[in-house]
Amino acid sequence: MKKIYEKPVITKLQTGFMNKFGSSPLYARKIRKDIDGVPISELVEKFGSPLFVISEKKLREKFRQIYNAFSTRYPNVQFGWSYKTNYLKAVCAVLHQEGAIAEVVSAFEYEKARNLGIEGKEIIFNGPHKPVEILEVAASEGAKIHIDHFDEITDLEKIAEKLGKQIKVAIRINMDTGIHPQWDRFGFNLETGQALDAVKRIASGGKLVLNGLHCHIGTFILEPEAYGREVEKMVKFAYEVEDNFGFKIEYLDIGGGFPSKNRLKGTYLPPDVAVPPVDEYAEKITESLYSNLRPGDFPKLILETGRAIVDEAEYLITTVFASKRLPDGRKAYIADAGVNLLFTAFWYKFNIEIDREVQGSNEPAVIYGPLCMNIDIIDEGTMLSPLERGTRLIFSPVGAYNNTQWMQFIEYRPNVVMVMEDQTVEVIREKENLSDIEKRERLPERLKIK
Amino acid sequence: MGKIVREIKAVLNSYSEILFLESYVAGFVILLVTFLNPNLGGAGIISIISAYLFARFLGIGETFLKTGFYTYNSLLVGLSIGYLFKLTPLTVFFVIASSITTLIFSIMLYSIFSYYLKIPILSLPFVVISSTIYLAVSNYTNLFVNALYPHINFSFLENYIPLWISGFLKSLGTIMFLPDVFVGIVFSAIIFFVSRILFMLSVIGYYTGTITAAFLTGSYDVAFSDISHFNFILISIALGGIFLIPSVKSYLIAITGVIISTTVLSAIKTFWSFYGIPAFTLPFNFISLTFIYVLGVLGFPYMAKVIRKTPEETLDFYLTNIKRYRGSHNTIHLPFSGKWTVWQGFDGRWTHKGNWKYAYDFVITDESGKTYRNEGKQLTDYFAYRKPVLSPVRGRVVKVISDLPDNPIGQVDRENNWGNLIIIYDQRGFFVEISHLSQNSIRVKEGDWVEVGTFLGLCGNSGYSPQPHIHIQVQPSADIGSYTLPFSFVSYISQNRFFSNDIPKEGEVVEPVFPDKSLEIKMTFILDYSFEYEVIKGKRKDNLYLTVKMAPDGTFYFDSGKGQLYFGKYEGTFYFYRIDGEDPYLKLFFLALPRMPLFYREGIEWEDFLPVKIASGEIKKSLILFLSSFNHNLAQIHYTGRFEKDMKIYGRITSKALSIDEELQVELDETVGIKSIKFKDTHIKLKKFIHSKEG
Repeated sequence: MKKIYEKPVITKLQTGFMNKFGSSPLYARKIRKDIDGVPISELVEKFGSPLFVISEKKLREKFRQIYNAFSTRYPNVQFGWSYKTNYLKAVCAVLHQEGAIAEVVSAFEYEKARNLGIEGKEIIFNGPHKPVEILEVAASEGAKIHIDHFDEITDLEKIAEKLGKQIKVAIRINMDTGIHPQWDRFGFNLETGQALDAVKRIASGGKLVLNGLHCHIGTFILEPEAYGREVEKMVKFAYEVEDNFGFKIEYLDIGGGFPSKNRLKGTYLPPDVAVPPVDEYAEKITESLYSNLRPGDFPKLILETGRAIVDEAEYLITTVFASKRLPDGRKAYIADAGVNLLFTAFWYKFNIEIDREVQGSNEPAVIYGPLCMNIDIIDEGTMLSPLERGTRLIFSPVGAYNNTQWMQFIEYRPNVVMVMEDQTVEVIREKENLSDIEKRERLPERLKIK
Repeated sequence: MGKIVREIKAVLNSYSEILFLESYVAGFVILLVTFLNPNLGGAGIISIISAYLFARFLGIGETFLKTGFYTYNSLLVGLSIGYLFKLTPLTVFFVIASSITTLIFSIMLYSIFSYYLKIPILSLPFVVISSTIYLAVSNYTNLFVNALYPHINFSFLENYIPLWISGFLKSLGTIMFLPDVFVGIVFSAIIFFVSRILFMLSVIGYYTGTITAAFLTGSYDVAFSDISHFNFILISIALGGIFLIPSVKSYLIAITGVIISTTVLSAIKTFWSFYGIPAFTLPFNFISLTFIYVLGVLGFPYMAKVIRKTPEETLDFYLTNIKRYRGSHNTIHLPFSGKWTVWQGFDGRWTHKGNWKYAYDFVITDESGKTYRNEGKQLTDYFAYRKPVLSPVRGRVVKVISDLPDNPIGQVDRENNWGNLIIIYDQRGFFVEISHLSQNSIRVKEGDWVEVGTFLGLCGNSGYSPQPHIHIQVQPSADIGSYTLPFSFVSYISQNRFFSNDIPKEGEVVEPVFPDKSLEIKMTFILDYSFEYEVIKGKRKDNLYLTVKMAPDGTFYFDSGKGQLYFGKYEGTFYFYRIDGEDPYLKLFFLALPRMPLFYREGIEWEDFLPVKIASGEIKKSLILFLSSFNHNLAQIHYTGRFEKDMKIYGRITSKALSIDEELQVELDETVGIKSIKFKDTHIKLKKFIHSKEG
């Protein structure tokens, strides 16, 4: 067989150091030929490229792993599926089947959950923007409403009067848990006494019944101890409320923010080392619960873990469309998917796998997306061996926030498929065409091109 | 007025009690029959009334008197006097005196027998007192002057009936000192009407005994003419249907008892006749009491712990309860949270043997049954490792060891078998020991008070532990390594099914649940709470009033006026225990919700068994129970409940033998109790709930 010509490259030699690529930077490569037993080539052939692929098996496994980490430690655990992380119907449905309720933050998400068949009382309604109309619907359907600000208390009291019944509510609080930046823009601050003021305000109004507390300390938190502090403060506050106001705090929603095995840009260690296992979080949280709760009292512990559940269950298959050499000598590849589909590329350095064995040693490479925009870069510096046109690049984990924050910009959005547990493949979101995008557009008669 | 009726019923019950029946109607018929011989009837009624009045005078509780329990011996003594003597002022005096003597003697004997021997007194007081009287009267010449009288009877009937039948009937009548065919017919009709099992036993008893006697004596005529053979009938009834649970085994014991008693009877007759007294019921008392005592000592499984009105009801109660209440009295909660797998149960494969056979080991498994991830070479690979261990009981911590190291996988500590451990004393009188905790993870100390669910420490691998697991056992002392006691777990879920009190099997995946406060409050019924229900049955409308009351033994019940429905809560489950009286609507409550977990999760199922008397018509019921006595698995009525959305309950009742397959719906009220029940064409709806009498 004739050997393919490889252009020689010069790579700076480093010895005696740890290197940020893991094993040998020159020959390490990751090959993935299938997802859950379905070949990449078959997937692309049937559903095109780029292609989002979700593994049902992995999604369920991940959910169960995290759920069990908590349920084997504390007897009253409920997960709320954070819709904004990934609200594709199939994903939500799988997680609802696993026992999660819905956690929504807008009228749109609320309606989406209802449309999927989730009852009002199985929905946690969070967020700073809850217009009165949807708030009234949620209140009458018995949703768990988490109040974000004093104006919302006023809105809800009006609704309670209109509906002629008391409404059960929770308040969101924020606090110092040693995490920076401190998320103090949502809810009522604990340390300044604002949270207590909110409880007083609710009690004096007499139209709302406080039955839960909610807090969310941040995102991609790599310090389990922070949750221990969060729980301690929440439990103490809950008892203060119970003892002084006669409300019964039935649940503590400690939010989410657990990291996935993704690699934040600028971190040196690989995620397997940098990200603590979920058991460590569960241990800290439940120990803090047991040491602060009164004996025999097991309020419901609600978790809104999003990223940690779904991120690793989804892949994006892309195809090398062209390659070029940049003036500084680096190799550049143009993939058929970019930041239009991978919003999280702005802060993650993805795991990149290729679909076939390749020859040659690695060289520094940049991966660009297809957009005619300067910002469209998926990875600005990685080590890849020379790839021929048509090679598939598989990016992961991409399950969190991409299917919700992607944009129809310049390109159409592609198919999303789910590899089911029995290895069949289902399209769960069809690729777009022109009519999808123009459906809502109206061209005034006089502007029509004759 | 009600009081007088109650007292009359009590008197009548004494009559039926002699035939082991508890029915004032039967008692009334028997009373009438005794007046076929007015002297007999008169002496009987005088004796019973005087005993009853004297008992009241002594202040014996009404509940005991009601059953005729203390007074039927006096009645028998009265009858025995009336049988000999005509009623004259002198005999009346004599009857009263003897009756009171019998009462006093009965109470004494009862106290001694029940305390020391755990056996009933049967008609032993009657045998003793009547024998005494018969011996004594030979001296009372004044009685003989004008009190002896010839007996009238319907002996002409004997001409139409073969001896082997008339013998049975006369023997039956002799129980009430009326050796007469007609009386025998009436009595057998009564027995048959009340209980087919008793009727069958009386027939079997009589013929087994009499034929045995005939073999031994060589004369059938003599055997069938001997009216003292009523002893066979009584032995058979007492052993086969009253003190033992009706079953093939019990019937065989009854037959054995009867056969043995033939010799006893002959012996007693020979001896007693020297003194001119009949054997009375002495053979019956001797044989029955001996058997009951011996079977009790041996722990015979079919001893009736609760004796109901008829053998059929005793059987129904027994069969239902044996299926309803599994588990034990040493009830503990699972000592963890979430789903764990039983690795080793009672009498386990590895270490749960001999003195330590009552113990459980738990691990956590994944879907493929593995207890670890990766290769399982590290402690941290094991799912159970460092998972919280929670207190299974409320009690005081009496011993803690926490400084032993967690063994690496593949090693065990043979020096300290039990590893790091906690021993908790439960005030019900037992100790719970939990073993193999992780080093220095224990958060309680000796002397601490713990509640169910208190965090104790973390699961580890200390002691004789090949992989991280929780070992738990119940023991009678605080000593490490003490022998173990049987126990059971309460309130857990396995395969989507709720178990109130049970013993999970090896490999079963179990998850503890903790009572829902709101549901617990909903099922708390306080004295004098009353509920007004509307009952719609087809086109008929009716009202049902239930009031919460308390029985002398401390159990609570709903009183509808016509019936009593007993209920209670135990370790996370609400139960309807049993129903007394006849109220079809009240029955429906039992039927609809024989038990309920005090924990709500949609889709959770639970099972129960219903007594036959709840779920079927009178005739069918009695036939089925009669047949069930031969095969205990014949007629079970299975109940399955399921929590639907919004705490609604869907129930299903099935029974193959009774061909029942019905569905029903129950709704709970927002505040307290049951809001509605739908069953077939009947719909019960709550109209009004009243906190107390004052409203």
